[in-house]
Amino acid sequence: MIPAQFDYVRATTLDEALSLLAQNEEAKILAGGHSLIPAMKLRLATPPMLIDIGRIQDLAYIREEDGQIRIGAMTTHYQIESSGLLKKICPLLPECASHIGDVQVRNKGTIGGSLAHSDPAGDWPAAIIALNAELVAASRNGERTIKADDFFVDLLTTALGPGEILREIRVNKQNGRTGQAYVKMHHPASGFAVVGVAAKLALDGDGVCQSASIGITGVSSKVYRAAAVESALTGKKPDEQAIVGAVVHATDAVDLNGDLFASADYRRHLAEVYTRRAIASALARA
Amino acid sequence: MKIEGTHELHASRERVFAALVDPEVLCRCIPGCESLEKTDENTYAALLKAGVGAIKGSFKGNVRLEDMRVPEHYRIVVDGKGGPGFVKGSGDFDLEEKNGGTLIKYAGEMQVGGVIAGVGQRMIEAAAKMMAARFFAALEIEAKGNQ
Repeated sequence: MIPAQFDYVRATTLDEALSLLAQNEEAKILAGGHSLIPAMKLRLATPPMLIDIGRIQDLAYIREEDGQIRIGAMTTHYQIESSGLLKKICPLLPECASHIGDVQVRNKGTIGGSLAHSDPAGDWPAAIIALNAELVAASRNGERTIKADDFFVDLLTTALGPGEILREIRVNKQNGRTGQAYVKMHHPASGFAVVGVAAKLALDGDGVCQSASIGITGVSSKVYRAAAVESALTGKKPDEQAIVGAVVHATDAVDLNGDLFASADYRRHLAEVYTRRAIASALARA
Repeated sequence: MKIEGTHELHASRERVFAALVDPEVLCRCIPGCESLEKTDENTYAALLKAGVGAIKGSFKGNVRLEDMRVPEHYRIVVDGKGGPGFVKGSGDFDLEEKNGGTLIKYAGEMQVGGVIAGVGQRMIEAAAKMMAARFFAALEIEAKGNQ
């Protein structure tokens, strides 16, 4: 449980962190450190240098701007979980945060760190997909915005390029009658999602589903959008029958993973059950 | 853990088979392969720096090719160990002609142990699939380049 030798640099500004990263290709960015440090202690990761962005001012915030919710990458899970503003205007985010790890992890771990690490059983990716969020990546050449659907590339792999740091998460504010929910089966030992489903439904005045957005984590090599479930619900009144008919598509065209705890077939079953629960819960709140 | 799948390549079966048993080509295609040196007939010593995302490790091991039936079948036997743990496994490659190209069928059994298996068990299957996808993507480029 002792990491291999590494250099440590504490950046005081984002520009400084970006320069350091540009000069040290093999360096890793240290955010909350609750995925990277355990991996280093087990020597599963042996980066020659850590660039700590934990002390950079103004990377941890939750605010409304231009009709969007903007969250700084270094905002901790707990800050999101306890945000009164988010509970009011985007309850999926605090609900998702409340499911992450334990108190210690939520106090130190950050939304940006979690997304950049992109654990296949991480909770945030499901919510980010369901909310159609945008991710702002900074580099020395400026900034670019990446759509949630394009951000998660493969196992532990994101669209962030070398030299890029995730700076901000943006979510459009919801209008009209919407309901959101995140439900999860916790792995009893690690707390990670065996299956986690985030759902956002928008209904019209008659209760007909205008749009559905569903992200599923824990099941495959990366989070994915349950597009077949979404289209099965859209334009319908989401009654029991419609929901049951839709969730059978929860793992359509998905390459499922199995492990010692849960086989691929069991995960397929869980994905359907938890997608049904997420939809029912979102519906009850709409 | 079982690994199996199929992959179609747009190259003749002879070319694909030749690529699959050529240590230089293999080393360029295996993700993270630093060297693959011949130690005996159909036996090679491999040095790998493999990883996914932040998780990376070095592995040293042996690769043996058996049961060669040019150009349709061979069996690969691998064992290696490194900082993150050990890997042992074997797999069969079967090549079939299909639509002017080649269909590769692979099926193998792999054992992973050590730290990586203890704490990374839930990701091993996904990592293996990702490695296989990278391998075949690189092999495709090799096979095309040789035509």
